[in-house]
Amino acid sequence: MAKYLAKRFFRSFITLFIILSIVFILVRQMPIEGYFPNIEKMSEEQIQNGLHQMGLDQPVLVQLGNFFKNLILHGDLGTSRIYRNNVPVTEILAPKIPVSIKLGSLSLCVALLLGLPMGTLMAKYKGKFFDHLGTGFIVLINAVPAAVYYLFIQLYGTEFLGISMLFDPDKVSSWILPVFSMSLGNIAYYAMWLRRYMVDESKKDYVMLARIKGANENRIMFKHIFRNSFVPLAQYIPTSFLNTVIGSIYIESLYSIPGMGGLLVDVVKKQDNAMVQGIVLLYACVGVIGLLLGDLMMVTLDPRINFAKKGGDR
Amino acid sequence: MALLKHPKLEELEQHCSEALQEDLSDAALFSYAEFDEAEVERTGASNYSYWRSTLRAFSKNKMAMFLLILMLTVVLFTFIQPLLPGQFDPFQVNNNPTTGLPLKNKQPNSVHWLGTNSIGQDLWARIWSGTRTSLFIGIAVAMIEAAVGILMGVLWGYVRKLDFLFTEIYNVLDNIPSTIVLILVSFVLKPGVGTIIFAMSITGWIGMARFVRNQVLIIRDRDYNVASRCLGTNTWRIIIKNLLPYLVSVIMLRMALSIPGAIGSEVFITYIGLGLPATTPSLGNLINEGRKLMMSPNLRYQLIYPTILLSIVTVSFYMVGNAFSDAADPKNHI
Amino acid sequence: MKKVLALVLCLCVLLGCVPALAADTTYNALYSSEVSTLNYLTSSNTWDQTVGANVIDTLVEYDSYAQVLPGLAESWEVSEDELTWTFHLRKGVKWYDHTGAPVAEVTANDFVSALKYVLTAEYESSVSYLVTDAAHIVNAAEYERGEITDFSQVGVKAVDDYTLQYNVTVPTPYFVSCTTYGCFMPAYGPLLEEQGAEFATANDKMYYCGAYYLSEFEPQVKHVYSKNLNYWDAANVHIEKIERIYNAEASTLAPIMAQRGEVDSAELSNDIVEEWLSTNPDIVIRDRAIPDYSYFYCFNFDPQYDAEYEPDNWLIAVNNVNFRQSIMKAFDRLYSMRAIEPTDPESVLQNTITPKTFAAVDGVDFTELAPFEGVQDMYFNADAALEYKAKAIEELTAAGAKFPVKMVLTYKSGDTDWENEYILLKQQLESVLGTDYIECILMAGPSESFLSKTRRAGMYSFMRCNWGGDFVDPATWTDPFAESFNDDGTHKGNSYNKMDKMLDGDTYPETKATLEAYYAAVAEAKAVTADTKDRYTKFAAAERILLDNAMVVPYFIMPATYQVSKLNIFEGQYAPFGVSNLRFKYQHLHDDFVTIAEYEAAEAAWLEALGNK
Repeated sequence: MAKYLAKRFFRSFITLFIILSIVFILVRQMPIEGYFPNIEKMSEEQIQNGLHQMGLDQPVLVQLGNFFKNLILHGDLGTSRIYRNNVPVTEILAPKIPVSIKLGSLSLCVALLLGLPMGTLMAKYKGKFFDHLGTGFIVLINAVPAAVYYLFIQLYGTEFLGISMLFDPDKVSSWILPVFSMSLGNIAYYAMWLRRYMVDESKKDYVMLARIKGANENRIMFKHIFRNSFVPLAQYIPTSFLNTVIGSIYIESLYSIPGMGGLLVDVVKKQDNAMVQGIVLLYACVGVIGLLLGDLMMVTLDPRINFAKKGGDR
Repeated sequence: MALLKHPKLEELEQHCSEALQEDLSDAALFSYAEFDEAEVERTGASNYSYWRSTLRAFSKNKMAMFLLILMLTVVLFTFIQPLLPGQFDPFQVNNNPTTGLPLKNKQPNSVHWLGTNSIGQDLWARIWSGTRTSLFIGIAVAMIEAAVGILMGVLWGYVRKLDFLFTEIYNVLDNIPSTIVLILVSFVLKPGVGTIIFAMSITGWIGMARFVRNQVLIIRDRDYNVASRCLGTNTWRIIIKNLLPYLVSVIMLRMALSIPGAIGSEVFITYIGLGLPATTPSLGNLINEGRKLMMSPNLRYQLIYPTILLSIVTVSFYMVGNAFSDAADPKNHI
Repeated sequence: MKKVLALVLCLCVLLGCVPALAADTTYNALYSSEVSTLNYLTSSNTWDQTVGANVIDTLVEYDSYAQVLPGLAESWEVSEDELTWTFHLRKGVKWYDHTGAPVAEVTANDFVSALKYVLTAEYESSVSYLVTDAAHIVNAAEYERGEITDFSQVGVKAVDDYTLQYNVTVPTPYFVSCTTYGCFMPAYGPLLEEQGAEFATANDKMYYCGAYYLSEFEPQVKHVYSKNLNYWDAANVHIEKIERIYNAEASTLAPIMAQRGEVDSAELSNDIVEEWLSTNPDIVIRDRAIPDYSYFYCFNFDPQYDAEYEPDNWLIAVNNVNFRQSIMKAFDRLYSMRAIEPTDPESVLQNTITPKTFAAVDGVDFTELAPFEGVQDMYFNADAALEYKAKAIEELTAAGAKFPVKMVLTYKSGDTDWENEYILLKQQLESVLGTDYIECILMAGPSESFLSKTRRAGMYSFMRCNWGGDFVDPATWTDPFAESFNDDGTHKGNSYNKMDKMLDGDTYPETKATLEAYYAAVAEAKAVTADTKDRYTKFAAAERILLDNAMVVPYFIMPATYQVSKLNIFEGQYAPFGVSNLRFKYQHLHDDFVTIAEYEAAEAAWLEALGNK
């Protein structure tokens, strides 16, 4: 196991390195406007000077080396030039990350707490009223764009609860709607797949054997069916956290939540190269770590899966 | 299972048992059979047809049949709508004939069935034009994903030498959240239908390729393929004749699901301001225009109607896709 | 006690006609676009400057009726040769930090340090042109270009702590109005030295000397301005606190939040304004229109867009005066304006590039001077358009142009109003001229750095452009079209319509002749300095050349947005230039939304006072 872990970490690290290098080189191909807030007013000489100061006149590979050197030695991601002139990227990201993590993890918890029981009940009462109700909900959530139903929830939810339309971190009540809205998609996702896996699982022979042996129906449901069906879902949890954070752009815009959601879009449009790089780095890290965690969770939950033997093939 | 319970077989058995009971004389029992060439060729298998069974299983699902009809109607109607009489041009600003000014934000009425938008264009015409654009994007993305995904997947799975390389590429690409790629690509390229299709397909094929690869790995070494290889059949023939037919149903399911996915992504891209210009109506920018009016109850129809159409398209593709994949599963052909 | 209370209540009822002022004077509003910097010395962006305007004072300021008032300077005078301006600073004004604690006194040195910062090329100030080109400060341009390195040679000097002197190269009667721009604001010298490029990147990296200090600044979260209780003119600052909350969807949410009482003002976008006018007619008011920017349509003489849109064909067409005339005559400006001004487009229509009320001489508005006579009849006329079209077809066919001529209209992505305007324009033009003659193509430009990627890069054929006067003289309205040169002496093309490029070479003699006449007329007008009426008339004559030859099509001044608000906007400082308009000083916060009746009364009173003064 330890050997597998070490190997897996090393692979993740390499992957991360490759992604970063690709992104870094790509960003270098973007127009140099991304380094100067008012390039129109600058003379060629000033631009060259500026590029020299930022070390951008060196060969790309040297720049890449410097980038990694600064990143590893000083945790330095460069300085924003357009989004917020002269402010270090890390300083901009620092206050936003915790907000997104809080919001993302809360909504994921809600999604698991509501989605898993829902899927289980739907599987248990397959073809009955509850199953149809749940299916209706899943269909609705998948059919109506989030951009639309979030607005309805905000408009009527705030009116119903009698709270402000905007988010205020100090008021617990103002967390309810954003977290709930964000979890809806995931609730539908987990409920849908859990139901499907459980229905498939319940047809398997070992379940029949357990029934014949006279095992308690609830025990079969949870110990056998649920546990086996949850394994493939567990792998998805860390990735869905990342998707929740990136997809939170709607919610963050609507409720004025100072998270990471819309940041990438913002800086991409503003062509702030250093910021683009910083954020992609962050997301890539979370993505890589997410996949790693997902695999680890699967190994933990399902003793039959043993990656060590397969030589780390995911 | 399927063979045992086949109705034709049951009929035959019944015939036999009836015959046994009626007449037991030699002449009745034995007679010379006519030589029938067709009968010679007949093998022991039943006339089980995969596609017929799939269709039969599918047609049993009333809901899916209804949605399939709905889906086909919507798709057909997007093409028929402009040809119908009395339709407005989706791009034309309709003016009030007396004042000569644009008929802005007119509620649904007998002339403009779904009302007009904020500069006086006919919403009914725009919604159908938008559906056309969105469906085109969705179908194009699905086709590209399928084509590239299958090609890559088959190579990846079948050509062992490439496996390592492809796996490494997959690991890198899969780690980059597709939303990021979508945002970057739509920004760098000129806004337009082509860009959106490209941006969505650039990551979409990876999932398909991996899926096909896994299936190929499973099927590749089954006995009949080993036999084919032993008989010297070349790789491409094995892939095309032996592998792909096996995958058709699942590939179609994935395609059916990636159409609503692509339409949804289009809404997202438009929302963040990197989508199609409003001069090209699509469900994404119709919904986005409607969102701005959401808070005015009297204008909300401009959000609701495009949303309804989008929901119909999404749900029908989604449910039909799922029902089809259930029906295509031989286990359900009993 | 009860009696007193009753009396007060009675008084309140009696005074009911006067809108009630709010007891809690915190003004709440949303904003949807974050400032890129707080650095008022370098930013030219209006939204960035709003911060500077409210937290830093200028030498002079304007009252609600555009009259100059003392600001940080108590008095000022100009020398006889009009080349030296001396300002006597108010004593005892202090710098405060973001907690409101005093730091140091504001002295003349702070103006000198600030100007040095503005002119230091390294800090990339985008407003330094106001110092060099508008105010003509001695040696400013040379210092900025690095030709001189000794800042003491630049024409700004702290004679003592309270006396500030500016030296200019040419008489600039409008100099005082220039000092209301951010680049003439003071900044605490030692802090500038210490922070350098990082100056004003956060609220604790700058000091304040204005009516407010920025007590909280969290980008994309909120801005909180707190009233500076020690402000020298605190009695005129009525709103205690301003809280602006970031919301990316403010245009959708603000109106409903205003209805629910969560914010004190909300802009109403054009797509919902008519709906609001019918459901809430009482409280829908407008913002105060400020004639600072004039909008006009330019024909591009140096198209650089993709070959698929046939830029070469456009170049042939645009150099034909009948072609340009046919467009100008076919263009029903009031129709396309409906996308931006849904109710009363005529009120903002302009028939000249220089907007109405910008300048006047001897009681005659600049736009009504003799050379502009009959200018209002030059525009929309479908019959005339078709006559010009016939002539243009004949001449252009001979010149080898293809029909339909493709005309690229470029707008900013995400600017729905603009896009809608072009949709209306396209349909209207094509219906008059026919699609066999002209084909309009709408092209979405980028939402960021829009101008440099479209207009300045020549990525359009016909486009709505705008220009704001930098100082009170008609000369400022010739600036967008001024000749611009490359190092080798050839024309680079001005950043608007690049028409001066046509002066090089002889391909289009007709255009060249028009331009030569125009530039000669401008030069002639600029040479007149003594007689204002003569100077203005000559500028008017020059502008008329552009209009007569349909080089530019005047359009409108940006109409004031519709809004609901608890502020009486007519109380605010008013000036067609500088940052005074952006200040909250003088404004009161009302209990309820200002009704249309109150608004109209206030507007009438304001207009009258403005006219009288």
